[in-house]
Amino acid sequence: MNNKTKIQVAGVGGQGVVFLTNLMVEAALISDIPVATSEIHGLSQRGGSVTASITMGENTYGFIEKGGADFLLGLELLETQRCLSYLHKSSVVVADDFKITPYSVNAGTAPYPDTKKFVKNLEKQIQKIILIEHVSGIKDILRNMFVLGVASTVNNFPLTNENILKAVHQNVADYNIESTIEAFALGRKYKYEK
Amino acid sequence: MIKKTIDILTSYSTPRKVCEMGNVAVARGAIEANVDGVFSYPGTPSTEISEVFSHINSFQSRKENTEKYPEQTANKIYFEYSINEKIALEKAIAYSIANKSALCVMKNVGMNVACDALMSITYQTILAPLVIVVCDDPGCHSSSNEQDSRYWGKMANVPVFNPSTPAESLAQTKSAFLLSAQLKLPVMVRLTTRVSHTRGVFNYGKLSNKNHAATFERIPEHINIPAKTAAAHAKLLNKLHSDYINEHAVKYNQIIHRQNANIGIITSGVTTVYVKEILERSAIKNNYSILNLGLIYPFPTAIVLEFLQLSLKKIIVIEELDPIIENEVRVIAQQNKIKTPIYGKGFSTLLPTGEFSLDSIEKTLFDFTKDKSLKNKNTPIKNTENIVKKLPVRPPTLCAGCPHRATFYALKLAVPRNISDVILCGDIGCNGLGALPPLKMIDTINHMGMSVSMAQGLSEAFHTSNQKNKTVAMLGDGTFFHSGVTSLLNAIYTKANILVIIFDNRTIGMTGHQDHPGATHLNKYHQIDLLPFIRGMGAQYVESIFPFNLKESFSKINEALATQGVSVIVAKSPCIFLPEFKEGSIYRKKIVVDHSRCNTCDNHEDMQIACARCYSPLNNLSRAKLKITATHHVAAQEQLCPANICNHGFFNSIIEEHYPEAVKMVRDKMLFSRTCGDICHRPCELLSKNKTIVPIKNLKRFVSSFDESFFDFSTAIERTKTAQKKNKKVAIVGAGPAGLSSAYDLIREGYTVDIFDKEEKPGGMLKYIIPFFRMDKTGLDYETSILEELGVTFFGNKLLGKDFTINDLSQKYDAVVLAIGLWKSKKLEVVENHVPDAKKHTALSFLKAINTHSIQATQPSNYLIIGGGNSAIDSARAAKKINPNNTVTLVCIESRENMPAFEEEIVHAIEEGVKIIPESSVEKVIDCNEVVQCTIKSLLTDNTQIISCDTIITAIGQSPNTELFSELSEQTDKNSSLIHINNKNGFTHFKNVFAAGDICQGNHQSVIGAIASGKRAATGIRQLLENYKYGYEGINALDKLNQSSGKYSIPKNNFTNEVDLLEGIKGMDFYQACAKCNHCIDNFGCPAMIKVNGKIEIDYQKCTNCGLCIDVCPNNAITFIEEVIPA
Repeated sequence: MNNKTKIQVAGVGGQGVVFLTNLMVEAALISDIPVATSEIHGLSQRGGSVTASITMGENTYGFIEKGGADFLLGLELLETQRCLSYLHKSSVVVADDFKITPYSVNAGTAPYPDTKKFVKNLEKQIQKIILIEHVSGIKDILRNMFVLGVASTVNNFPLTNENILKAVHQNVADYNIESTIEAFALGRKYKYEK
Repeated sequence: MIKKTIDILTSYSTPRKVCEMGNVAVARGAIEANVDGVFSYPGTPSTEISEVFSHINSFQSRKENTEKYPEQTANKIYFEYSINEKIALEKAIAYSIANKSALCVMKNVGMNVACDALMSITYQTILAPLVIVVCDDPGCHSSSNEQDSRYWGKMANVPVFNPSTPAESLAQTKSAFLLSAQLKLPVMVRLTTRVSHTRGVFNYGKLSNKNHAATFERIPEHINIPAKTAAAHAKLLNKLHSDYINEHAVKYNQIIHRQNANIGIITSGVTTVYVKEILERSAIKNNYSILNLGLIYPFPTAIVLEFLQLSLKKIIVIEELDPIIENEVRVIAQQNKIKTPIYGKGFSTLLPTGEFSLDSIEKTLFDFTKDKSLKNKNTPIKNTENIVKKLPVRPPTLCAGCPHRATFYALKLAVPRNISDVILCGDIGCNGLGALPPLKMIDTINHMGMSVSMAQGLSEAFHTSNQKNKTVAMLGDGTFFHSGVTSLLNAIYTKANILVIIFDNRTIGMTGHQDHPGATHLNKYHQIDLLPFIRGMGAQYVESIFPFNLKESFSKINEALATQGVSVIVAKSPCIFLPEFKEGSIYRKKIVVDHSRCNTCDNHEDMQIACARCYSPLNNLSRAKLKITATHHVAAQEQLCPANICNHGFFNSIIEEHYPEAVKMVRDKMLFSRTCGDICHRPCELLSKNKTIVPIKNLKRFVSSFDESFFDFSTAIERTKTAQKKNKKVAIVGAGPAGLSSAYDLIREGYTVDIFDKEEKPGGMLKYIIPFFRMDKTGLDYETSILEELGVTFFGNKLLGKDFTINDLSQKYDAVVLAIGLWKSKKLEVVENHVPDAKKHTALSFLKAINTHSIQATQPSNYLIIGGGNSAIDSARAAKKINPNNTVTLVCIESRENMPAFEEEIVHAIEEGVKIIPESSVEKVIDCNEVVQCTIKSLLTDNTQIISCDTIITAIGQSPNTELFSELSEQTDKNSSLIHINNKNGFTHFKNVFAAGDICQGNHQSVIGAIASGKRAATGIRQLLENYKYGYEGINALDKLNQSSGKYSIPKNNFTNEVDLLEGIKGMDFYQACAKCNHCIDNFGCPAMIKVNGKIEIDYQKCTNCGLCIDVCPNNAITFIEEVIPA
């Protein structure tokens, strides 16, 4: 693979950012794609922000520069927005409309940012934004697989359906494989209507 | 995890490609180097290295695995989390001396704890290799400083490897073991967060699986005595010149030289890959020569000199944190007279603070080279910084169900931050999260374990001052064993006056739940029980609490604070991530919020209305405290005030000793705080069905007695100033409590208000009729004068029906309030016809004369009062006040029990010597020159008696002068002559005229009845003139008052003095739902509680059913329901 692809994953502790990253790494290894990641999750279990960068291709080391993310997979909408500066004109954003309000919003000292404004702004500036909304029937903890399912249908996404499924089989406990694949498959069927 | 553990213990003859973290690579490197034992203390970013060995340890110690995985269990690796880094390193040194290879793992600041051991072992000797891994944290993602631990290598004279990728981490760790064995010297591998936590592709290779046998040789080097050290120092320095070092240096210190290159770049650590990735973009790659340094101490002088001697135009040194390499490079250049300009710290983005990134290095390289092709080829989107800057932050927070939050909350109730000056010293780890909002229960956090020293030091500093409070130290169980324990010994030894709270959540939480001596899950270790341990040390007070038992926690914290000396509380409950938490110490019932109680006020719907809670968050804290400590719980709905004073807020202010605030709460609703404290007949207390009565009236008198708060009307003045002007004029006729109350409410809502009264001064019956000995008249004058300050215009000596009419006002004003009261005394024919004016009075004329002091004290004389109402009793008591030797007799037709006067007043009158003849009527009155002789007949027995008196006072009631408001004849009741009104808003149904006070049909004839009806009329006017959509806020209590007719018994708790009063309310909890509460959000902050549209919702994904919120909610809005959640 000659091209580099950089994928940013954003979410909140407990949403499965690290799991999703591991899975993509395994799928990349299966695909024989050079891969590296970088994560900051010092306090993630305490409800803080978690982001992970995955870079694929030679001469990348897991780091994403500003304006360097080809894909942004957002598991929580506020955290997705926090990663805006990593986007460039050809970026693709897959953002779950899932919201986890931080304390300042709970306390009423800050508003949760407006979804429509965010989507509108990105529609003008990047190649594609897919907002995942009105999804029901999957457990919150599996929404990360749904997001990956949606992303995997986008052109140029570096990992194939087949290799992602292989990675699931190799890395997910037996009793969770079925529900994991189901969430992923539902994501692949998702149609975003503006 | 087991799969990964097996993988990392497996030997691969064909390399196995993995993509793992730098930390895992270090672990694999140590395994490939045949490590025998690992000693560590957890700490981000180093923790994952230790975790690998922790997993290995439990994997290898399982019997079944010995048979199933013989290869992976053959070479047992010892692992322990030592209690701190110093012990870890000391034990690792001993291990090495016994010929077992050792790895010692810690984070940056851990090296500071361990350094004592490092600084002298280098003068001695080790045997098997000993590698110390230290992880620095540029940018301080999770550390208390961003120290550069490379200095430790130089200071201790031990070699330092500094890998840049996971692959290098593995290789250099392996080399470190080899070098350590070669030099018989510990070797350091130093990583940074971005190397530790970066995953990269590398290979697992072959393992040798060679067990070392333990040996011990008695050699002089093991004994460190001063006589030997100088020689040992020289020997140590010699080791650093060993040829072995070069063997490794050639592998990790490399020049990539390009012919014709002009620019030289020296890098080390993670900056190496930043530089590589950016230079890869360049169209003129041949312009750059690079020197990467992986083994940085002893400093690789030769290769640096070689690089400096290349014909480069300029050189830049790019390293994170301190300019360690840069300074060495400059020394070499100076020593060798090399003139090539050298750049480093201070150039472009190269600062000694924070961490670098692709972006910062791109900028530096571009600034240095002006090579445009280095720039990012993508077009970043615009204006992102502004958007991102405005996003709400998401700081880490204690988890839902965290026992720490429970303990912090109990402490908050014991020492509320805004009123308590107790200093709270926190510590590192999850405990430190207590500093963040909304808990904010920490004043200091320093390095690990310092809390106990900080507390005793501060306590000592304040020792000689008047400060009697204890200082509090708070630390986690892990931190306590790490370094707090020695400090506690010092506190006990020096007799410090501190409280130490150990947040014992049975684990080291923040770094991922490692064991420690107080909480181990391994049978091979002995668990140390904190309570006997600390008692053994000799602390004065040592108790354990279960944090979720709020009541017990609160009382023990108070006990501990009150005990002189060192108090220790162990707050013990497992972290929610531990199996024992999930196994069910906590309830399995579901928690629900009753939205009809959450942020709801039973008293008013209008949230804009003057309401004390706007400035009273402490009330909630007080209520929250009472909820768990009080012995008498009284629902405030039982004691509603017709003027709708927020009685529970008022009470809670007093409990918190915020007396000015309590007065403000009264003044939110009415002018007359002191007057009501004096004379209100307290329907709130009398009509209550509760056994315990909260003495609102006594409290009102008490708080109003402080002149400073009594004279402070600033809030009302401010509210009037800022009110939106309505441009509507209202005329109020009658300046009694009813009219003045209308005026007070309307002026504060932006109305223009004029008041007319027949008397010279405002105040009505309060000023002229209620006897001076029952109330503070000066206070009343001040309270009424405030209205003029607020902008109300008062027209005195203006008579309705003479100077103006209702019709006039109705035309000139947007609305009129008729509140003229009952000033026409009912007459008794027998008295009127037979007693000369000099010997007779009506109650009103008599009391007015008393208040204007026109009746002077005389020789003792006899008074006869006819009537059983309040004016009769007032007259009787007044007659006694003129001269205590006066004989005062009161005759009324009612039985003693059914006299309409307030019971308390009757009791006072009797106590003062008034003789009451009930159930009797005055049959005959004869004026016999000297005296008046009255024949009194008992209605029960028809017996008669004759009473002689000098003055006879008729007090059989008053009526209105209907001639004054003849326009309202249709609205006037034919029998009572009182005005019919809409009893929801005081409207008379005549034009724009409202009525208030005694003149209204059905109104309770009392001060509070008048005040409330005045307020009701003001609400009616707002409904009429501004389409105000809410009803009168106090309507329920007013209706209840108006419907009350029977006699009341005097409540038991009628406190006569302040001390009794304040003592008497202790243990009372007076509560009601409040719309402006926000207590749980402001003080508790459980992440499972979310405020949606002003109401709390439970996030069941997060909720752990700990149930603490049930005890926290001041509104009693949260409960368990019996739906049992499966385990």
